[in-house]
Amino acid sequence: MNTPISPALDVTRRGSLACVGLGMTLGSHLTPLARSHIEQADVVFAALSDGVVELWLERMHPDVRSLQPYYAEGKSRMKTYRQWVELMMAEVRAGKRVCGVFYGHPGVFAWSPHKAIAMARAEGFEAHMEPGISAEDCLYADLGIDPGRYGCQHFEASQLLFYERRIDPAGYLVLWQAGLVGDRSLARFKTGSAYRQLLVELLEQDYPLGHPVIIYRAATLPIDRPRIRHMALRDLAQATLTPEETIVLPPACILKPNLAMHERLEALDRQDKTDALA
Amino acid sequence: MADAIEMLETIGRSASLRHASAEELTHILERELAPEALVAAVTQEDSSLLHAMLGSRLNQVPQVVQTPGREEEEPEPEDEEDPLTSVIPSRPK
Ligand SMILES: C[S@@+](CC[C@H](N)C(=O)[O-])C[C@H]1O[C@@H](n2cnc3c(N)ncnc32)[C@H](O)[C@@H]1O
Repeated sequence: MNTPISPALDVTRRGSLACVGLGMTLGSHLTPLARSHIEQADVVFAALSDGVVELWLERMHPDVRSLQPYYAEGKSRMKTYRQWVELMMAEVRAGKRVCGVFYGHPGVFAWSPHKAIAMARAEGFEAHMEPGISAEDCLYADLGIDPGRYGCQHFEASQLLFYERRIDPAGYLVLWQAGLVGDRSLARFKTGSAYRQLLVELLEQDYPLGHPVIIYRAATLPIDRPRIRHMALRDLAQATLTPEETIVLPPACILKPNLAMHERLEALDRQDKTDALA
Repeated sequence: MADAIEMLETIGRSASLRHASAEELTHILERELAPEALVAAVTQEDSSLLHAMLGSRLNQVPQVVQTPGREEEEPEPEDEEDPLTSVIPSRPK
């Protein structure tokens, strides 16, 4: 308990990292606390989905550095993300208060904010994630879905192809990054309909081909409306899909009562009653 | 006069403006002498007109992609690896 604090830990290092979410819609979603993180930072890094939103962010801080240029077709995105982490960490190590601004929620289907925060903490710096309104949040509101009603599974669409996963068709299924489903290279921004056809074939194991599918895009500018397209599962492969669209499959079957558990609960209830009377 | 970005922020944070019809919003923006491209984007319900005016990078393709990692499966600094074979998820954790 009385172990002396090692000199390395004793030094208070000023560098810090905050990864904050900007939300989805310009002007509508940014929380006061996230805004304050941005304004109080020494350096701001931006990974946003809309160029106009990036211009808005530039109004909040004189030193906003876009992470956009580090992407390139044909370059592994893992390489890009590692560069992002390194760029942010270099400034943290230099003693700066760094703010990474990500659209939506910085920790939802996003690798680098989690990684950068873990790395900063491992190196003894203060690091914090500040949540934002994600595409998922907008989706619930715009499509009138409550994930608690039947349960809701979320997957990166590719993960369904790469790994053996169990889909529960009694709940909602939300598929992210379907526009590049099946891209094993991590170097493409888009895959074609043959790739999506594989996804359709996989989903066909749990859903009829006529099952309704919703393709959803939340508004990123406040003058946009959400884009909501309905189609049958069989038409998904041929549909044009942009990288920022998310796919939703509503439940395909009704909830099946777990009779065995009901019986056991019944027995417990009876026991409770007897105990109460005793 | 507010510029397009300021006007967007005002619209984004106002319950009445954010949910106004295209006609109502067009009317208001014209009255406020909003930049033409913003008015056109609202009237024609096509925000690409605005992107064009502001000359902003169309971030839509790459920046929406921040795939959660399959990186743990990948050997660390990968440098000039063959992109098609480096991250194949054939080695589940
Ligand atoms: C890498 S994830 C990032 C998600 C983000 N961190 C968030 O909080 O929403 C990218 C995926 O998010 C979804 N997405 C991004 N922008 C969207 C939008 N405007 N509307 C609906 N889904 C969107 C799409 O599934 C897209 O492929």
